Amino acid sequence: MSQDNVLLRINNLQKNFGGLRVTNNVSLDLRAGIVTTLVGPNGAGKTTLFNLITGHLVPDSGDILWNGQSIVGKSHYQIGRIGIARTFQDLRLFNHMTVEENVLTVMEPSAWIWQPGGSQARKTRKEKVRHILERTQLADKAGTRAIDLAYAERKFLSMARIMAADAKIWLLDEPASGLDRGSYELFLELLRTEVKKGVTVCIIEHNLDIVVGISDRIAFLDQGKLLADGDPATVLKDPHLAAIYFGDQAT
Amino acid sequence: MLAYILNLATLICINAVLAITLNFIMGYAGIFSIAHAIFFGVGAYAAAYFSMHVSASLFLAVPVSMLVAGLLSLVLALPALRVRGEYFVAASLGLQVLGVTVFSEWKSVTGGLGGVIGIPPVELFGHAITDPVQFLLLTLGCLLPILLITNILLRSSFGRNLKAIRDSESAAHAFGKNVAAIKTLSVVISSALAAVAGALYAFYLGFINVESFMLDTSVLLMAMVIIGGTGTLLGPIVGTVLLMLLPSLFSYMWFLPQTEIGAIQQIAYGSAMVLLMIFRPSGIVGSRKRSNG
Repeated sequence: MSQDNVLLRINNLQKNFGGLRVTNNVSLDLRAGIVTTLVGPNGAGKTTLFNLITGHLVPDSGDILWNGQSIVGKSHYQIGRIGIARTFQDLRLFNHMTVEENVLTVMEPSAWIWQPGGSQARKTRKEKVRHILERTQLADKAGTRAIDLAYAERKFLSMARIMAADAKIWLLDEPASGLDRGSYELFLELLRTEVKKGVTVCIIEHNLDIVVGISDRIAFLDQGKLLADGDPATVLKDPHLAAIYFGDQAT
Repeated sequence: MLAYILNLATLICINAVLAITLNFIMGYAGIFSIAHAIFFGVGAYAAAYFSMHVSASLFLAVPVSMLVAGLLSLVLALPALRVRGEYFVAASLGLQVLGVTVFSEWKSVTGGLGGVIGIPPVELFGHAITDPVQFLLLTLGCLLPILLITNILLRSSFGRNLKAIRDSESAAHAFGKNVAAIKTLSVVISSALAAVAGALYAFYLGFINVESFMLDTSVLLMAMVIIGGTGTLLGPIVGTVLLMLLPSLFSYMWFLPQTEIGAIQQIAYGSAMVLLMIFRPSGIVGSRKRSNG
């Protein structure tokens, strides 16, 4: 993979919470059109890394480059607008809005009382919402409030929102956790289709079937440190990393 | 009797404007302000001052009061951007206390505790509105467009932005929403529209003082919104009608000791609020369905 394909470059990133170093000199490249999976035990600093990339946290040192330009210090909504979108482990859906509104509002970033583009753009947005809801099998729930959905449906609504964001990089925080087999197959199919279209994905996942099934690269984190970054076969077969990840089970 | 009904109807319309505008930020943006009476007061004092010194024309005095309240609301927007939930309630309480102090002490504009007297009747195309029926129609003529404007806004992308922020500010941020700008705009719109109620109130009574803009007014407005149904279109109006009519109904109940009417009202209000929050937490107009999460 050529260096030119690097969409997002993380350089020597460091973050402390009080005396605890949660991100320790992490350097990682997210390359265009591939799936990078962040693996590591709980507390490894995976979600913190997402929070640092999206501006929810500000690093103590180091840099994050988007297409060669530093995005450190930009507010999180500005980072959202440049093409980096994320899901949350606890979903953070717009619970009292309908499924359709949840997706539609993601396409309406303007703070003003109107959106640019007039009625034609409005029509296009509605059409796109319909298409996304069909793909995520939520079309018949369009008028249902997010809070009234079943668990798997809530997970897919989270995916539907990120699909609506038109982002270049998706940061997915445990998107498939708790899904049944059928839903999980649908999720993998959705993700593969979007990656084929050119979306760059960075995913935090504990389910090794998904990790193996979708990843082009794996980055292994532990206690804030990046211990390995390479192709799935190499990283997952490293006995040292397996011992960290599985503890006693690996031995 | 007719004069009494007209008076009650006019005051209901004025309070309905306040409840609708409070619901705009409280029910849709999740900004729980207990300083709404301050913007009611700012509108009233601005309209009174302008009509006594410049012009009593509706088309001048009302926009001026809206402008003043809209600009001053940035003071409220500032803490709203920094803190959320119960912390903002405390910050708005501070603003309410501060506002009442200014109303009481800035004697050259507000007349201090004595208030402003001799506010001229409002003029519409050069015609002074002194007839109670005409004034009621004028008040309705303000209430209906405000209801319409807020409804259109809430059904638009702006309304969805507000609801998104209310439900998850961090997710709204992550999807590129400028939360600070959206919140500020919602507070400015709400306060400017509340100032319309203030201007109507000043013109209607011809006299205003700080008593009308105290904390109990802010709390009563919040009760109107909650009882009617937070985040619903008609809830604030239903809540206003109910809370404004109850005192009148009590005074018509001959079997109640007239000297204790005030205390009975308080007991009835308190009990109704507690029962409503237990059995119908979404308010009278709000959804019956309880959320499952």
